[in-house]
Amino acid sequence: MINVQFYGVLQELAGAQTLSHPLEAPMPVAEVLEQLQARLPALASHLPRLACAVDDRIVPRSYTVAPGGTLALLPPVSGG
Amino acid sequence: MSNRRHLQSEPLDLMQLLEETRDPASGALVVFSGTVRNHHAGKGVVRLEYSAHRALVEQVLAELEQEVIERFGVQQCRIVHREGTLDIGDDSVLVVVRSAHRPQAFEAARYAIDTLKVRAPVWKREHYSDGSVDYQEGVPLQQADLEN
Repeated sequence: MINVQFYGVLQELAGAQTLSHPLEAPMPVAEVLEQLQARLPALASHLPRLACAVDDRIVPRSYTVAPGGTLALLPPVSGG
Repeated sequence: MSNRRHLQSEPLDLMQLLEETRDPASGALVVFSGTVRNHHAGKGVVRLEYSAHRALVEQVLAELEQEVIERFGVQQCRIVHREGTLDIGDDSVLVVVRSAHRPQAFEAARYAIDTLKVRAPVWKREHYSDGSVDYQEGVPLQQADLEN
């Protein structure tokens, strides 16, 4: 399992702040995103503009996330 | 230094930041305040909700303060952002820069707020006067796609 966290507009889209996603072996973030998109089709249009963080660190999509980790999906930011 | 907060749900306290950054070597003080305004893109706004990835915001803003100090040679830089529900006129962010001379202080404060807007994982949800609610479109964080 990994813990997936949704931020900003993605929370409305996912209908939750977090969800558990099955993951039995380490996997690149890009592949996890594909699986999440299959589970939550509404994510598709947001994927190109998403940043990802694993365990509180922003990572490229080639980064490998391990079971037990936390993957945060960060849509375009609008602070200030 | 490490226990300074960069994100808080209670109202921002400019006086506390001025006290915290007091510095006898500084002859210039520049403060930028981002303030909730009552309109956006032609629509009336009645309040804002800010949410954030807390751990990342703390890290990003602490690094940005240090970067501003080194890049502009200023004495002090503090940046604090607010989260939660804000009313019109509330401060959403404060940037405080102190430096020996004014040019660096102005430049550093401008850089700090401009950079925060593209690096800090914070999201603004606007409540409009017609009852509708929407997230601002925002700016994609850059780091994620370095290897794609």
